Amino acid sequence: MASKHVGVFVLFQLLVLNVVSQTSAFPTPTASTDDKTVYNRQLTEERPLQEQIAEADSVKAALQSAESKRSAASKDAGSEQDDFTMLKSLADGQKSKETTEVPVKKEDQYVPDESDSTKSRRLAEDYDSTKNGMEYDDPESFRQVDGTPLTAEDIVQKIANKIYEEDDRGVFDRIVSKLLKLGLITDNQADTLEYQVAEALQDLISKNAKNNEIEDAVSNDQETRGEQDDQGSDTDAWEPPRRRYNEDEDEEEEDEAEDEVDRDAEEEGDAPDNTWDKGTEEGNEVSPEDGLQDLQYFPNFYRLLKSLDSEQDTQERETLITIMKTLIDFVKMMVKYGTITPEEGVSYLENLDAMIAMQTKNKLGKALVLPDFPGPNGKNLDEDDNTKAEAAKMQKEYENLKDSTKEDQPSTETNQPGKSETYLEAIRKNIEWLKKHNKDEGKDDYDLSKLKDFMDQQVDSYIEKGIIAKDEGDTIKRIYSSL
Amino acid sequence: MKPFLSVVLFGAAVVALVSGAGADGEISFEYHRYEELRKALVSVWLQCPTITRIYTIGESFEGRELLVLEMSDNPGTHEPGEPEFKYIANMHGNEAVGRELLIYLAQYLCNQYQQGNETIIDLIHNTRIHLMPSMNPDGFEKAASQPGEIKDWFVGRSNAQGVDLNRNFPDLDRIIYINEREGGANNHLLQNMKKAVDENTKLAPETKSVIHWIMDIPFVLSANLHGGDVVANYPYDETRTGSTHEYSASPDDVMFKSLARAYSMYNPVMSDPQRPPCRKNDDDSSFKEGITNGGAWYSVPGGMQDFNYLSSNCFEITLELSCDKFPNEDTLKNYWDQNRNSLVNYIEQVHRGVKGFVRDLQGNPISNATISVEGIYHDITTAKDGDYWRLLAPGNYKVAASAPGYLTVIKKVAVPYSPATRVDFELESLMERKEEEREELMDWWKMMSETLNF
Repeated sequence: MASKHVGVFVLFQLLVLNVVSQTSAFPTPTASTDDKTVYNRQLTEERPLQEQIAEADSVKAALQSAESKRSAASKDAGSEQDDFTMLKSLADGQKSKETTEVPVKKEDQYVPDESDSTKSRRLAEDYDSTKNGMEYDDPESFRQVDGTPLTAEDIVQKIANKIYEEDDRGVFDRIVSKLLKLGLITDNQADTLEYQVAEALQDLISKNAKNNEIEDAVSNDQETRGEQDDQGSDTDAWEPPRRRYNEDEDEEEEDEAEDEVDRDAEEEGDAPDNTWDKGTEEGNEVSPEDGLQDLQYFPNFYRLLKSLDSEQDTQERETLITIMKTLIDFVKMMVKYGTITPEEGVSYLENLDAMIAMQTKNKLGKALVLPDFPGPNGKNLDEDDNTKAEAAKMQKEYENLKDSTKEDQPSTETNQPGKSETYLEAIRKNIEWLKKHNKDEGKDDYDLSKLKDFMDQQVDSYIEKGIIAKDEGDTIKRIYSSL
Repeated sequence: MKPFLSVVLFGAAVVALVSGAGADGEISFEYHRYEELRKALVSVWLQCPTITRIYTIGESFEGRELLVLEMSDNPGTHEPGEPEFKYIANMHGNEAVGRELLIYLAQYLCNQYQQGNETIIDLIHNTRIHLMPSMNPDGFEKAASQPGEIKDWFVGRSNAQGVDLNRNFPDLDRIIYINEREGGANNHLLQNMKKAVDENTKLAPETKSVIHWIMDIPFVLSANLHGGDVVANYPYDETRTGSTHEYSASPDDVMFKSLARAYSMYNPVMSDPQRPPCRKNDDDSSFKEGITNGGAWYSVPGGMQDFNYLSSNCFEITLELSCDKFPNEDTLKNYWDQNRNSLVNYIEQVHRGVKGFVRDLQGNPISNATISVEGIYHDITTAKDGDYWRLLAPGNYKVAASAPGYLTVIKKVAVPYSPATRVDFELESLMERKEEEREELMDWWKMMSETLNF
């Protein structure tokens, strides 16, 4: 028994490796190159915050030194004091003493705005410490040990930490709106800051997730996922503030906004996919009972489990459940990270279920008995995209046909479901394009029957020439006839 | 029995994952064996049936189809005036990168077309593109069946009969060199092509099929994908004097250099002047800007590249795409990234020089008319609809159209880099001219007689 399970887990490892190596964009903790490019892209586009600061510094440095001397003399000492406190509170944290040059320049950058005397007075008013809970009131010290303010990076880190600890993204909103009102940062810089903080937050979350023990891994994963979900919906909430800052948006940032939105759209997916996703996510992954609820969408797998009723099969059952759930998780992760679209994820899992049916039939030489399914499940399937149900139905039909005409070698047999799934995918893409293309050109709906006839004709001629096999041709024809 | 269940599950899951999970940008970067290649091409056809067509030009020695995927706005038909282009890969079965690149290219062009990429849409509407991922599927199977990561330098190179297909074509270089010295035709050197091919016992089935293919379709531009080095190689491949290294320029040397560069310049590895040779002792002294003359690199007799140029109107170059002939699967995406832009840009080169129609005075097309360019000793001919495409580098040229029984017409043309300049010819037949002269004579006689009152 033990060796069997060892074998099972070895295969599991292989599967994991296979998955990991297949999908190079799979976001492992060691961060794949794709993730890096995404992050790098953001970094190279957003890094300008640092550069902007440096730039602004170099341009204004000359003015600074002249003006700051003047402003120091002419302005109200009190307001200036407040300003400096404000600045210190912004540019602070508990990082190690970095070069004081950059921080000093940072300070300088904010100074020139004070040259407008009316502005500085407003600063003083806004700076009533009793009015709102600004960070400088926090018991947590915002100064460095030696009192020097810190770099932009530190600021970002500090804000990210704050958000993480308080689990409240309102922290960011408060800070940024303050900064903007005070005219200390521009809209562009606000957006930049937003992305950097999001980034830093992500890092924090994944770092903390890693640091926890294995037993906590599940609950932490939940938390992480929960937070990442929050992150996903965070970007939604961050949209309103971004819209407020809309005045001077660069093209760059608009694109990024779109990217964010797109990513959200992808993450949320179609309604049926969404409900399916949410449903399984909310399921507690630890207890087998609830886990089985996840698997209700896999009728064949469910039947398989049911058939393993006896006591000695319990361990086998457990293993299978774990494996299946891991697979589901993989797919969910891939969808979440955008490696595959939700549709692909769903079709992959449907495919999997269908294949299980076929394989069990082949290997065990018996069909699984149909247990009575609770009504809601059936309904749910119906509520899903009809073409997907059709595809699954077709898949099963195809398998039945395949079994009765066992001409090919076993190797091609296992390839057949994969092949027909690719063909199905290709045909679907074509239909989608036709619909869109005809819509764009203002034509009426494409003539499906004409297309069907044309394809039938082509398929026949290809079969004749040996370009496609007869059974493949039949599959293709059947797919078209079921549309 | 029960343990099998887990195995079953894994098997199913792995297969589903492999086929279901799409990788970067809908292209899955892995090696395709024969069945998988066929399936991949069929999938492209199913996805883009209005712009693609699969056909086969024949069978390999072991009976595998030599599959071609054609892409055009009207697949299956030659539209008059639309140039024909081809890519052939994997004629050496163990040089695998080209084979894969053509599969990815097919998927890429189909996807881009559907996503509204204007460059690709234009290209497909104005060109007839033929992609043959493997000319030697038997050799590939042998190479791919080797166990382990490292593939032998030679296993799978030749076809199933042990014939090196790139030495198997009729050696027309020798004939052209003789003709250069002693006079004779400067193109279409294979007399009685059909007969010569069918009766030649030395030709492998794959070679025969390709020769027929070249005869049937009026290809204008082509490239032949290889592996084992990284360079774009152009004619002539065989040296004039028979020495092992000698620059052997063709009449279209200037144009070929331009074509080769058009490929290499978008491939960062190929065009990298600091690139070290693939192997320490390799002599890449002939490589400049990622291109090389064939003879200057090393002499190759009986190759497909020169055969194209000397038996038909097609200009072909040879692309060596990887130091490693059969590299690790996880490098395929890199090769795609390096070559994608080059592959597309090279197809666009077919729209250069001069092109047009040769017709008679009644507007009927004249097929097999000769188009010659002053200063370039290499003529081309018109296709069935009287259409021709003469690739030329930018410059001023005198282009002449001639046909037996017709009077030659010469036109001056200023040719830019691109697009192709349209130059049509209306040829007067000799009979017509005689008739004209006779009529003129009659008129004159009539006038004379009326005046002089004969």
